[in-house]
Amino acid sequence: MSRIALQLLFRRTLLAIPILLCVSALVFGILRLLPADPIAMSLPPGATAADFEKLRQSFGLDRSIPEQYVIWLGRLVTGDLGTSIYFRRDVGDLIAKALPATLELVLLGLVLGVAIGIVGGLAMFSWRGRMGEQVLDLGTTGLMAIPEFLWAILLILAFGVALPILPFIGRLSPELVLPPPVTGFLLFDSLVTGHLRVLGSALWHMVLPAFALAIGVAPLVMRVLRSSLLDVIQEDYVTQARLRGIPEHTILVRHALKNAALPTISLIGVQGGFMFGGTVLVEMIFAYPGLGNLMVDAVRNHDLPVIQAVGLVYCVLVLGINAIVDVVYLAANPKLRVA
Amino acid sequence: MPGSSGSPVLEARGLTVSLRGAQVLRDLSFAVKPGEVLGLVGESGAGKSMIGRVIGRTLPQGFAVTGGSLLFGGRDLVGLEAEPLRALLGDRIAFIPQEPLTALNPVLTIGQQFGEHLERLRVPRGLRRDRIVSALTDVRLRDPAALLELYPFQLSGGMCQRVMIAMAFASEPALIVADEPTTALDVSTQAHIVQIIRGMQRDHRTSLLFITHDLRLASRVCDDILVLYAGDIVEQGPAREVSERPRHPYTRALQASNPPLGGTRRRLATLPDQMPGIAGFASLPGCRFASRCPIRDGACASAVPPLMEVGPRHRVRCTQGCLSDDRGLVPGEPLVAVPLDGRDPVLRVEDVWKHYAGKRDWLGRRHPGVDAVKGATVSVAPGEFVGIVGESGSGKSTLARLVMGLEDATSGRIMVDGVDVTANAGEARRIRLGALQMVFQDPQSALNPRRPVERLVTQVMEAADGAGDAERLARAKALMRETGLPVDLLDRYPSQLSGGQKQRVNIARALCVTPRLLVADEIVSGLDVSVQAQILNLLLDLRQTRGIGLLFISHDLAVVRYLCSRVLVMRNGEVVEEGATEAVLGDPRHPYTRSLVAAVPPEDMDVPWPPLAAAESV
Repeated sequence: MSRIALQLLFRRTLLAIPILLCVSALVFGILRLLPADPIAMSLPPGATAADFEKLRQSFGLDRSIPEQYVIWLGRLVTGDLGTSIYFRRDVGDLIAKALPATLELVLLGLVLGVAIGIVGGLAMFSWRGRMGEQVLDLGTTGLMAIPEFLWAILLILAFGVALPILPFIGRLSPELVLPPPVTGFLLFDSLVTGHLRVLGSALWHMVLPAFALAIGVAPLVMRVLRSSLLDVIQEDYVTQARLRGIPEHTILVRHALKNAALPTISLIGVQGGFMFGGTVLVEMIFAYPGLGNLMVDAVRNHDLPVIQAVGLVYCVLVLGINAIVDVVYLAANPKLRVA
Repeated sequence: MPGSSGSPVLEARGLTVSLRGAQVLRDLSFAVKPGEVLGLVGESGAGKSMIGRVIGRTLPQGFAVTGGSLLFGGRDLVGLEAEPLRALLGDRIAFIPQEPLTALNPVLTIGQQFGEHLERLRVPRGLRRDRIVSALTDVRLRDPAALLELYPFQLSGGMCQRVMIAMAFASEPALIVADEPTTALDVSTQAHIVQIIRGMQRDHRTSLLFITHDLRLASRVCDDILVLYAGDIVEQGPAREVSERPRHPYTRALQASNPPLGGTRRRLATLPDQMPGIAGFASLPGCRFASRCPIRDGACASAVPPLMEVGPRHRVRCTQGCLSDDRGLVPGEPLVAVPLDGRDPVLRVEDVWKHYAGKRDWLGRRHPGVDAVKGATVSVAPGEFVGIVGESGSGKSTLARLVMGLEDATSGRIMVDGVDVTANAGEARRIRLGALQMVFQDPQSALNPRRPVERLVTQVMEAADGAGDAERLARAKALMRETGLPVDLLDRYPSQLSGGQKQRVNIARALCVTPRLLVADEIVSGLDVSVQAQILNLLLDLRQTRGIGLLFISHDLAVVRYLCSRVLVMRNGEVVEEGATEAVLGDPRHPYTRSLVAAVPPEDMDVPWPPLAAAESV
C-alpha cells in the first residue's frame, strides 16, 4: 500500500476517535433518559424492592449518568464491553459470535449488489436510446421504491413458500453441526476445516437475505454508473480515442469505465454504510443470528449494555467501510495521488 | 493509396451537410495534395469544423451528409462502412485537437495512452517504449522517459499538445486534421506548436488540414486557404494571394477588423451584426453574406453567386466588386491620441502584493503558497486606456480582481480618487464601486439567465432607494442606445442574445452607475474578430462621449495596441516592462516582452514567422 494510502488511513483513524466518543455519549445518554428499566425486565414477578435495589447496584445503575458513562468508557478502553443484563453473558462474547455472521452477509450482499449494478449499468448504457434501457429504467425505479425488508418478505413468499426452493430461516440446516471455530467466520471456517456440506448449506441459506440486501444497492449503482458513463462518453478524450481508431469496446473498458467508476465508488461507500442498517430488519425476518438480531433482542429486553455496544460496533463498521472506500477511490483517481 | 504526386490525398466534391434537411455546408469542393497544407478559415459557427467531423464521423446529432463526396485516396469516406473507416482513423488519417488538456484521459499516464495508440498500430510490445521516447523527442519534449509516468494534468497545455502531435505523426499518416490546435494556448506556445507541426509535416510530407478562425495565422501556416462564411466557400486560393489581395468583401472585412501590430493605428472598419447561427444558414437567400455586405445590391439576395476565377487558382464567390481592388471594407480614419487632462489619477495601485497561502489538501498536506502579484504599481488617469498584457498565470486577472476588491491585497495600497480604499468595507467600498466597474471575460456566465435585459442592465439601481420602474426603463433605454443595442431587446433573456450582444449588455450594465473607470478582463477573447472590432470601437466611443478610463487586461498585443496608450507587461506576478504602448511594443526592452512580440505573426509576409528559435524544448 502506498504511503499516501497509509497516511489516509491514519488520518481516518484519528478522526474516528472523536466521532466514536460523540456517538457513544449520545447513545449512552439517550438510553439513560428513556423510561426503559432493564432491571424490571429481568426480575421474576415476585421480586421484592430489596432484590430490585441489589440488582441495580450490581449493574452500577444507582450512580449518576456521567459517572456511569465514565466507568463504561474506562472499561471499554480495556476491551470490556460489560455484561448483558438479559442474557447474563459477556457482551463481548455475544458480539464476537454475531459480528462475523453479519459481516459475511453484508459482504455477500454488497458483492452481489455491486455486481448486478455494474452489469446492469453497462447494459443500460449500451442499450441507450433503445427498448432495453427503458425496461431497465422502469425496473430500477420499481426496485428502488420498495424497501429491503419488504423485499425480504416478498422473496420469502416467492422462493420459500410459493416455490419452496430456498431456505429462509437461520444460518444452517438444522441437522448440520457447526464446524470447530477457527476465525468465527462460518464460510471461512467450514472451508478450511473441509466441512463442505456446511459451507454449501450456509451459502444456500444466505441467498435470500443477501439478495434482499443487494436489491437496496444494485439499482442505485446501475443508475449512477449509467449516467456517469453517459457523461464520460461525451468527453473530449473519448472522441479523441475514437479518432485514433481505438475499438469501441476498448474505449468503454479502458477510457470510459475507469473514469465513470469514480462517482460509482463514492456511492458504494455510502450504500455500504446504509446496508448495515438494512441488516437489522433483514436478519430478523430471516432469523439470521447476526448483529441485527442481537440488537433487536437487546432493544426488546431493554438490555442497555448490549444496545450500547452493538450501536458502537455499527458505528465502527460504517467508519471502516468508508475508510476502505476512500482507499479504493484514492487508488482509482491519480489526481488525488499526485496533484 | 495517396502519395503519387499530383493526385489529391483528400478531395471534396460538392460536399453538402444538412441539419434536419436544411443545408448548412453547401456544395464544398476542394483538394489537398500530398504534402500540402490547406487552411479552412472562418468565424466560429461558420461550419469549418464540420469537415473534420465528416471525416471522423463525429457530426453532432441531427447533422448528416446529404450530398457530394469526400474522397480519401480515391475512397469515399462518406459512404464507407464503420470498420474500414475505423481502420483508417489514427493510422492513415490523424487528428490534432483544440483542447490538448481534455483530449488526454486524466486517469491514464502519457505512457499508457501513447502505448495504447502504438498497440492499435500493431507495434510489438517490446518496441513501444523506445518508439514513444523517440516520438516525444521529435516534438522537442525534454526528458521524454520521465513523461511516460506522468498524468496529463501534470503537464502544461503546450506539453500535452506536443504529445498529441507526436501521437498524430506516429503512424506517418497521409492526412492530419488539426482543428484550432493553438487556440487554447498562450501566444508564445502557439508559435512553438505551429513550428513543430509545420516542421514535421514537411519532413514527413504529410498533408494537413489546418482549421482556424485566424486568417493571419492561416496565411503563415498554409499553402492554400479556403474562407468559409455561413457554410459557403466565399474565397479560396494560394495563402499569400488570399491574404495580400483578398477579393471577397468578407475576407477583406476579416482583415480590416483585425488590428495590426504595426503601422498607423486606424479606426477598425466593422461589419454590421453577426453571422447567424447554424440553424439559420438555410434561410439566408442568395449570397449568404449579402445581409452584412457593404457592397451588396438587389441581385445579391436573389441568386447564389458562383465561384469565379479572379487569378491563378484564386476564386471568389461574389458577383460584385470582387474584381476591383478598392471596394469592400477599408480601414477608417487614423486614431488620434487623446490628450490626458493633468488631473489626479482615478485609480492608483501602489506596490500591491497578493499571496495565496498553500491549501491543505484532504490528506492534510500543505502545499507551498504562491505570490500571484508581486508589487504591482499602476495608475490610470481620467479617460486613459491602460493595457495589461501577459500569458495565463501571469497575475493580470488577479490584479484586476484586487483593483475591484474581489480579492484583498496582502500588502500595498489601492487609491480611488485619492482615497485609500484598500480596506474593502463601508465608505471605502462605496467609493470604489461608484468609480470602478468590471466587465468579465465570459459574457454568458456573467449574466443571470433568468433576468431580462432591462433588469440586467439596471441591476445596480435595485440597491439605490427610490428608483421607480419608469426611471429604470428610461435608464435602460439610454444605456441600450449608448452601447449600440436595439431597444427591442430589453425584454429578451440572455439565451436569446448573440455573444456580441451579451458582451454589450455586460458593458451597458457596468455603465449604469456612470463609473469613471472600467476594468475589463479579456472581454473580447471569446468573440469573433468582426464582433471584437465592434466592441473595441464601442470602447473608443465611450471614451469620447463619457471620458471614461479603461484598465484593459488581455493576452492579445494587437488589441491592446489598438486601444491603449500605455501598457504594462506582466510575468509570474511581476510587471517586467511598462510604458507608452507604441514604445513598448515597437521597441521592447525586456526579453519576455520581446518574445511576446515575436510570437505574433507579422503583417508583412516577407518577414519569416514563426521565428527560428521558437520551437525550443520544454
